[in-house]
Amino acid sequence: MINDVIAIIQDYWLLLLIGQYPNGPLGGLANTLILSALSIALAFPVSILLALARLSKWRLLRWPVTGLVYVTRGVPLLMLILWSYFLVPLWTGADVPSFVTMLTTLVVYQGAFLSEVVRAGIVALGSGQMDAARALGHSSLGAMRFIILPQALYNMIPSIISTFVSTIKDTTLGYVINVPDLTFAASQVNNQLLTQPFQVFFILAVVYYAICWSLTHVANIVERRITRRRAGLSGDAAPVELVPAKIISEQL
Amino acid sequence: MSTSAAQIQQVQTIRLSDVCKSYGDYPVLKNIEAEVARGEVVVICGPSGSGKSTLIRTINRLEEINSGSITLDGQNIHAAMRTRELNLLRSRIGFVFQNFNLFPHLSVVENVSMSPIRVKGVAAAVAHDKALKLLDRVGLADKARAYPGQLSGGQQQRVAIARALAMEPPVMLFDEPTSALDPEMVGEVLAVMKSLASEGMTMICVTHEMGFARDVADRIWFIDAGQILETAPPEEFFKTPRHPRAQRFLADLRH
Repeated sequence: MINDVIAIIQDYWLLLLIGQYPNGPLGGLANTLILSALSIALAFPVSILLALARLSKWRLLRWPVTGLVYVTRGVPLLMLILWSYFLVPLWTGADVPSFVTMLTTLVVYQGAFLSEVVRAGIVALGSGQMDAARALGHSSLGAMRFIILPQALYNMIPSIISTFVSTIKDTTLGYVINVPDLTFAASQVNNQLLTQPFQVFFILAVVYYAICWSLTHVANIVERRITRRRAGLSGDAAPVELVPAKIISEQL
Repeated sequence: MSTSAAQIQQVQTIRLSDVCKSYGDYPVLKNIEAEVARGEVVVICGPSGSGKSTLIRTINRLEEINSGSITLDGQNIHAAMRTRELNLLRSRIGFVFQNFNLFPHLSVVENVSMSPIRVKGVAAAVAHDKALKLLDRVGLADKARAYPGQLSGGQQQRVAIARALAMEPPVMLFDEPTSALDPEMVGEVLAVMKSLASEGMTMICVTHEMGFARDVADRIWFIDAGQILETAPPEEFFKTPRHPRAQRFLADLRH
């Protein structure tokens, strides 16, 4: 079986890596990485904006965004993808590439999920920090940017990473609207071989696991570094005789 | 320690007129009338739940009021105004919280220098030097690069005072600044507050430290059930309280 896997990789590695490029569109692992990176990079700022809108005192801002979050959370991602794929061209008449459809849908969907994580982080901080910021004359946005979000986002790193990982895994659903990603390439390979689905999809699973694990690993390093810095443990930050701060981290 | 009575009459800094506030049907502040002169130190005392904290939080508009007005040098803090204007006004009123509320993600010196930089637009280097001076003043120059989580409660509260002072406010409000501290740390915080008072800072303090009130205050406001029942100089208040509720309060304290 291992021999089969090695043989498949030897025969099809280029297809799995970049799809049919340069003879066709870029696909395979390269496209999966691009789609994942763009989705995360866009969904993250979107989620912060959505969270701020959800916490806004203006109903005009709060209500539509709350509605969006509820609908998005209540509808399966696959349904949203199919809707955008079939309805957007129908309504607008524009020919939207499936990659863009997938990216937009993922950004909205994961942005909504992530916004709840961010909102939870902000709410969990309690009112004292905001009170202190306001008493010092900070504007709401200034307080958010320099005082609330740096703490809220840091506290929520584990949940945020979970959402990022799930975003990467959700890119596989692009398969149903023919986004030429790694899953798409793997199924092409499977269609050609016909007899070795387990081996083909085993490769697929290993690759996705490696990507998601790497992201988690990087996130853990970042989290640990921030924790150490805030505890004053790094470099020459603080005299050693200080009371050791409580460090609550999975890794330490 | 304090300006003379004649001077107090001349310059009023804070004036509360007919301030009312309620949470739903429950009134927390009832027709508060009071004045604080420049350089005056006022201690607000009273039983718990009497509205002390609410009162002091209305003075920099952390709490809204339902009616009446609160002015700082003639400017109505609770008037309808742009948020920019309110932020500017707030930056002129220092506030020290019971729970310190330091920013845990910033080092001590960053806690102190950040607001001058972000709110007032002071150059970072200037704000940093100023912060170090203020930390020296509260006796924490050696902790400048530590993080709040590494400090004791008393040290954190002194940083919080330095942070408020960094905005150079003409008025400082203290909301039970020593109530969350271990007994042996109360003294260091009160010492900083005393030195501020002796330099002529206008201060309003909600506190249960009657020794501090006796030594430092120019006037005591005794508040119960949302009303100021008595205002008197400390020697008068502690020796011959007029209001029966104040008499009972002081008698309870002595037990």
